[in-house]
Amino acid sequence: MRSTRIFVLAFAAALVVLADRPATAQTAAQKSPPPTAADWAALAKLPDLTGVWEIGPGGGGGRGRGAAPQGPSLTPAAAAKRKELQSLGREDNQTANCVPPGMPGIMGQPYPMEFLLTPGKVTIVIEAYTQVRHIYTDGRPLPEDPDLKFHGTSVGRWEGTALVVDTIGFSPLTDLAANVPHSDKMRIRERFTLTGPDTLSIETTVTDPDVLTAPYTTTRTLQRHRSWTIAEYVCQENNRNFVDDKGKAGVRLDDPAKTTGK
Amino acid sequence: MRRLTLALVAVTLLAAGARETAAHHSFAPFNLEAEKTISGTIKKFDWTNPHTWIWIDVSGDNGKVETWGIEGMSPNYLGRRGWSKNSLKPGDKVSIVIRPMRDGSPGGMFVKATLADGRELRPTGQAVE
Repeated sequence: MRSTRIFVLAFAAALVVLADRPATAQTAAQKSPPPTAADWAALAKLPDLTGVWEIGPGGGGGRGRGAAPQGPSLTPAAAAKRKELQSLGREDNQTANCVPPGMPGIMGQPYPMEFLLTPGKVTIVIEAYTQVRHIYTDGRPLPEDPDLKFHGTSVGRWEGTALVVDTIGFSPLTDLAANVPHSDKMRIRERFTLTGPDTLSIETTVTDPDVLTAPYTTTRTLQRHRSWTIAEYVCQENNRNFVDDKGKAGVRLDDPAKTTGK
Repeated sequence: MRRLTLALVAVTLLAAGARETAAHHSFAPFNLEAEKTISGTIKKFDWTNPHTWIWIDVSGDNGKVETWGIEGMSPNYLGRRGWSKNSLKPGDKVSIVIRPMRDGSPGGMFVKATLADGRELRPTGQAVE
């Protein structure tokens, strides 16, 4: 009787403790203990990816210089879907309305991004659309059933001189490539490798068994700009471009004073 | 010759991934095959994202003044290529080459500008450190 009461009390106490910690915070607390001085010092031994990078001249652009000339190799269903989407003749996509492209397109913008290394994490601050990627390098696994995000959920690990990042769980609002929607099985692996004092190679391999018949790999080369800083980019500040529901693109020339108040 | 230049520009843009060069939208509303030069007085220069906008008052043949809106690259992009928010000031006399709007409305995409003192502004070039 007494032991039952103790058990009930202990169980209630456990519930209170658990209820007090949101599941995500609890996970983070378990996976990321406070960094020690040794953790910070260990960062200096990693390849120095820190700083502001931009795709260099001839460095690949959004399509990737190293892309196979024919682009991604599609399954019959995906090829049919692309043909159907192309036949709609849509002039633009939602980026014209300031919706960010998500992965993988966000990594191909003509704007710089800053890499930050902290214990257990690489953060990429992306100027275009003011986006950020969180890459956990603390050994945690990818989630079994991730929420679907524009940038997915990423974990990374250091392999020799390369940072290897695996990402899953992408929002259906993002595309694998132009007119190529992805399935919920899309995975992206990126290899970040320093190829010189201020040059970075990013090899991106996309797999998706429902959409691709072979892995789709592109490579970009980025230049580091030591004197640059990341600038503000609020797309809604003065966006006069738009695309309507039928895919018709347009420009608003009305009222120059409207968006800036002058 | 001009047609050849335009063709080269188009091919270069395609090779570079034209969408990405424009950053956040397609060129569909603009006629990339056409080039038009407008001259007038700067009314306002929006140093804003996602695009700069040059508002320029242009006098028509009938003496009526019409305000044109010219879309340029973003301040982030141009700022790393020698431009600033003071590159164009209200009252500046300027002549601007544009790719005009396909629908004929008074606007276009910026190609280059020439100021009264001969200074030329272009949206391209090697980024400066």
